[in-house]
This record gives sequence, structure tokens and C-alpha cells, in this order.
Amino acid sequence: MQKKAGPFFYLFLTVFVLIVMFPFLWMAISSIKPVTELFGDKAFTPYTKNPTFQNYVSVFVDFPFLRYLWNSFVVASITTIYTVIVASFAAYAIARLNFKGKTVILGIVLSVTMFPQIATISPIYIFLKNVGLTNSYLGLIIPYTTITLPLSIWLLVSFFRKIPFDLEEAAKVDGASMMQTYWKVILPLAVPGVFTTAILVFIAAWNEFLFALTINTDDEYKTVPIGISLFQGQFSIPWGEISAATVVVTVPLVIMVLLFQRRIVSGLTSGSVKE
Amino acid sequence: MKNQALNIDNNPENKDVRVVTKKSKKNKGKWKRSESTYGYLLVAPALLLILMIAIWPVLQSFYYSLFDLRLNNPTKSEVHLSYNIDLDRYLNNFPFLLGGIDNEIRSGNAPEQLEKIKQKLTEIDQKVQDSKGIKTQYDKVNEKLTNFEQIDQKLSVAKLDKDTAQSVLKEVNEVNEELGKVASTMKLSQEKKLLGLSAGLGDSIIKPNFIGFKHYQDNLSERRMWNALGNTVLFSVISVAVELVLGLAIALLINKVFFGRGLIRASILIPWAIPTAVSALMWKFLYDGQNGIVAKLFEDIGLVDSMSKLLTTDTGAMFSVIFADVWKTTPYMALLLLAGLQTIPSSLYEAASIDGAGKWRQFISITLPLLKSSLLVALLFRTLDAFRVFDLIYVLTGGGPANSTETISILAYKVMFSQTNFGEGSALSVIIFICVAIISMLFIKLLGKDLLNDSSEK
Repeated sequence: MQKKAGPFFYLFLTVFVLIVMFPFLWMAISSIKPVTELFGDKAFTPYTKNPTFQNYVSVFVDFPFLRYLWNSFVVASITTIYTVIVASFAAYAIARLNFKGKTVILGIVLSVTMFPQIATISPIYIFLKNVGLTNSYLGLIIPYTTITLPLSIWLLVSFFRKIPFDLEEAAKVDGASMMQTYWKVILPLAVPGVFTTAILVFIAAWNEFLFALTINTDDEYKTVPIGISLFQGQFSIPWGEISAATVVVTVPLVIMVLLFQRRIVSGLTSGSVKE
Repeated sequence: MKNQALNIDNNPENKDVRVVTKKSKKNKGKWKRSESTYGYLLVAPALLLILMIAIWPVLQSFYYSLFDLRLNNPTKSEVHLSYNIDLDRYLNNFPFLLGGIDNEIRSGNAPEQLEKIKQKLTEIDQKVQDSKGIKTQYDKVNEKLTNFEQIDQKLSVAKLDKDTAQSVLKEVNEVNEELGKVASTMKLSQEKKLLGLSAGLGDSIIKPNFIGFKHYQDNLSERRMWNALGNTVLFSVISVAVELVLGLAIALLINKVFFGRGLIRASILIPWAIPTAVSALMWKFLYDGQNGIVAKLFEDIGLVDSMSKLLTTDTGAMFSVIFADVWKTTPYMALLLLAGLQTIPSSLYEAASIDGAGKWRQFISITLPLLKSSLLVALLFRTLDAFRVFDLIYVLTGGGPANSTETISILAYKVMFSQTNFGEGSALSVIIFICVAIISMLFIKLLGKDLLNDSSEK
């Protein structure tokens, strides 16, 4: 159905983008309003005559927001690196090698992606508490594996399958060993897929809420989603600061999405995988 | 793609042709043999991790759900299948109780009765010490206590066989009663202390907290659980249905060539990419009863009669939560369906329109059937996500007002971490797990083998 787009179509698109982006735009406006304009009559005006960056300053000075950002960054990066490495081996084997039971293994991986996190939290919490890993980076990296490992295996399998099989045959004929084939032939071709997987895993780990909420309760180790949602003012919810923090979190994401949108979409739709 | 393979073959840097053929013969056998070994070797670490961090905890959750497990209660903070004795506690109690009674006897307060009680207590102590395998542990703890040393949990807890434990408990109870009687008839110099110590003695015996399926019985007969389950189903059904219809409509509309596709794609991805907690917070601000612009908008168009009702009434709160979820995930749904639509060859539509089929007819007989598996996969993942919804509701309404948006995950979380009742919470999480398993099985049955479709098997 490749039709030409008419003016009404563009009107529709504009409305659609506006609706989707409206909350962000409103947060951005609110973040530069002075506190007095966040309440009362002026709360509904979509502009301000006295823009201020006080909220942004406050986010970093009055709240340990930088710490939250750093925690999230450390946890999400380490999780991403280690899961993608482990997953790429498994996915290579499932996608490219012939051995018994690989469909069963893939089935297990898929069903684990459907596990509700809440069903694993009580033993994981008790275990981490007993070994003293609550309030640590490792305490989040370990449970995040439940979410990220099946996800990355699932994604990588579909990427590895797209690489033509003739290449392996050729490598075989040339006398390359299994490992050589993997490192020198398959992996270089799989780099885009691995990169896509890494982006999606990073986003998943960055956004995780339940484990972060229960395991790292100390301010030192809170991640961004928890940190922001527990922002507390002295008398009321500090909406100005929250708006500013939201903008701070969203801007890098917007840049990332703009840069990598093609990859992200290909990752999301390959095998129609969940978030 | 074939060319690429040939290029490698013809690569001039490759070794002598004869060597290659020789090697390849040898290699082929080796490849075949080693292929499955390598396969298992490569899959092993991932599989092991999944077993340890995902499958084992689920089984453990089920195990915990059979116990009365409460983290804030020291005698119930662990799984106990048999009777145990906390020697630390016991030895912090018993000698002082005995000493206290001795004091009373010496000062002539009811010496006869107290002598009898003392007799009984020494018998109890003897019974504990004689119990199999306890003696060495008993002495060690005793020694450490006299030296004021720290005693770790492992050393302190010793297994007690059922008969001894029950008879000790019975006798301790008798001692308690008798002591109470003495105290009520006579004036004891340290009455409170003695009674406290003897009551504490019984607490050092840790009873097994295995309770079988009681948590499940309790939960299944409790209104709060059904209310939470109902909320979850309501939330999932409505939000997924709305997302599906809107998502499909959007996908159909934007499935054409137009200027600015990248922009649309990016704006679709942003709500999906931001943390749910952050988007929930954003909506909380927009829904605010006094200063929320969306609440004001809803009031202006007559959706609610007053802005403050949005988050303070049952239906208002549920609507708000669903609306926020629809905002966040409809674009994502549209994206998945768009990918499915783009795989449908346009020649089919051309043929259909030549045959005189209208737009609606084309949609029914071409689009829907060919989109079926994309639709079902998208539906499956969205339904499961909606069913285990947590962060959106936790941040936006906290399950309120009056539990009207409390979903089953929220309930399980509250039971586990606010009431520290891990046994019951685990039972709830097992219930969630079972629901999720049923939903996925239904979908997988509908999907057939499409989901695991292995294209590498030619």
C-alpha cells in the first residue's frame, strides 16, 4: 500500500507527534519556570517570562542526582558488557551450530523472558541480603541478568541467523577452526547486531525499577528511576526539580534514539521481541 | 551474499589449493564431531546463569511460599523444617532464671514451690544437653557467652528432635504457669524479671514454620487478592485492547512513503525508551489535582467534573493509569505492527483491487491474516508486560486510592517489603507466575510453532 502522502496526512502526523511529545514539552517548560509559576493560575500558561535555571542547579546541588546518574551508568554498562558477551556465545551456538536440544534451549530462553520479576524477587533478595550484597553495584548486576540475558540471547540468535551460511562453509574449507570462524568471520559481520543488542540491553538495565527499588535502598547506590521517583521536598513534591531531572534524563535518551533509531527499530522488530 | 563467500575462497592469500583440500577433509570430520561439543560448551555459561538467576529463584519462591516466613521475626526469618534451639538465646536466659530463683529461695520467698520449679528447670536443661549432638555446641556457646564473644547464627542454632523439643516446650510452659501462680500468691523481690526470663525461655525453641498450602488458601479466600487480580485483569485487558486498536490504526496510516519518517520513528521511540518510573512521575505532575495541565484539559472537555477527581476517585485513578500506559506503549505497538505490515507484498493489494475488493475487504482478507503472527507476538508480550505492571502504578498512584489501582504485583511487593511477610508474598508471586504461564501458553497455542521458528533448519 505505497500511497502518496497528502496534506491531511502531514497534519495527522503533526498532531500525532505533538500528542506523543506533549508531556516532554510541558516538563521542559515547567523546568525553567520559577517555583511561583508552577502553582496557581500561572501553572497553565505554556510559557514563562522569567526563565530560570534554578531547578537544574537544585537537582545537582540539593539532591544526589549526579550520584544516581553515575550508579545507573555503572550498573547498566557492566550488565550490558557481561551479558552481551555471555549471550553472544550462546546465541552463536544456537543459531549456527548443530547440536541436539537447541530448540529446547531456545524455548527455555524465551519462557524466561516472560517471567514476572516479582516471582524471583524474594529468593534473590534474601540471598543478596545474606551474602551482604544489598546496596552494592553487584547486587543489581546479578539480578539484572534475569532480564537482560534471555533478551540478548533472543535478539542475537535472530541476528546471527541472518548471516549467510556460505561464509562458514568457506571458512571450513579453508581450514579454520570453530573458534577462528567465530572470531574472524561471524563476529565482524555480527557487530551491528551485537551493537543493537547492547543498546537495547543498556536501556532495559537503565530503566529497571523493581530490583533497584528493593535491593539498593541506600542513597549511595540508588539508580536514576528510583532516585527521581523518591525525590522529596520539605513540604511538598518538588515538581520544579522533578521536571528538571526528567529533562536531564530524557535529553541523552533523545540523542541516543535519534542516532540509533534504525538499529533500535531493527532490534525491536527482529523476532518481534519485547522491550 | 554468495559473492562474498566466493571471495573468501578465492582470496589469493589463502594457502596452496592441495593443502586446503587435504586439510578440509580432515577438518570436516573434526567439525562434525566437535560441533555439538562446542555447541554445548558455548551455551553452557548462559544456560547456567539462567538456571541460577531465573529458574532456581522461581522454584525457591514456591518453596518459601510453603513457610510462615517473616523477616522481622527472628524465629521465623528462615525456613525451618524441624525443631531447632537458639542456644545463644537459651543460654542468655536459663542461667539467669535459675540464679534468680536461687536468690528468691535464699531470701525465703516461697522456697518450697520454687525449689520444685528449680528441680524442673534443671531437668529441662539436662534434657536439652542430653539431646543428640548438642553438647559440644552447647558448651562452645556457653564458653563464648562467658567471654562476652560474638556468636554467629550458625553456631547458635542447633537441631532438636521433635519429641525433646515438644516435651521441653510443654515443661517450660508448666514452669511459666507455676511461676505465675507463685508470683500471684507471694511477693517476689524480682517478680518481673523472673517472669520475663521464663517466658523468654520458650522463645529459644524455634518451631518449624512449614505450613503447606495455607498461604494459598488464605490468599484465595481473601478479598484483597481478588480485588488486586481483578484490577490487574481490568488494566491489562483495557490497556492492551486500546493499544492494539490505536497501534494498528497508526501503523496502517503511516505505512507509506513520506517525508520525515525518521522524525516519526524517533518520536515513537522516545516514550518507549524513557524509564517507566520517569514517565509515571511526569504523568503524576500532569494529572495533579491543582496544577496539572492534563487534568485541567480533561476538566475543560468535560471528561471529569473536577480536576481533583482524576487521582482521588476509583475510576479516575484507573483511567489515569491506563491512559498513561496507552501513551507510553501505543507507539511501540504501532512500530511492531508496522514492521509486520511492511512484509506484506503490495502486489497482493493490487491484485485485490483489480478484482474489485474494497478497502475494508482488503483489510479483512489480506492484512489481518498476513499480520496474524506479528499481531499475536505483539499481543503476547504486551499482555504479559501489562499483567506484571509495577513501576507505573507504584509511582503514579501507589495502588490507591483505597487499593482501587492495586495490581497483584503491587500487592505482592507490599506484602513482602512493607509487611516483611515473605512467605505470603512468595505465595502471591507464585500465583502471578502461574497466571503468566497460563497466558503465555494460550498465546503460544494460538501462535503454534511460529515463535520458535528456526530458519537455520533448512
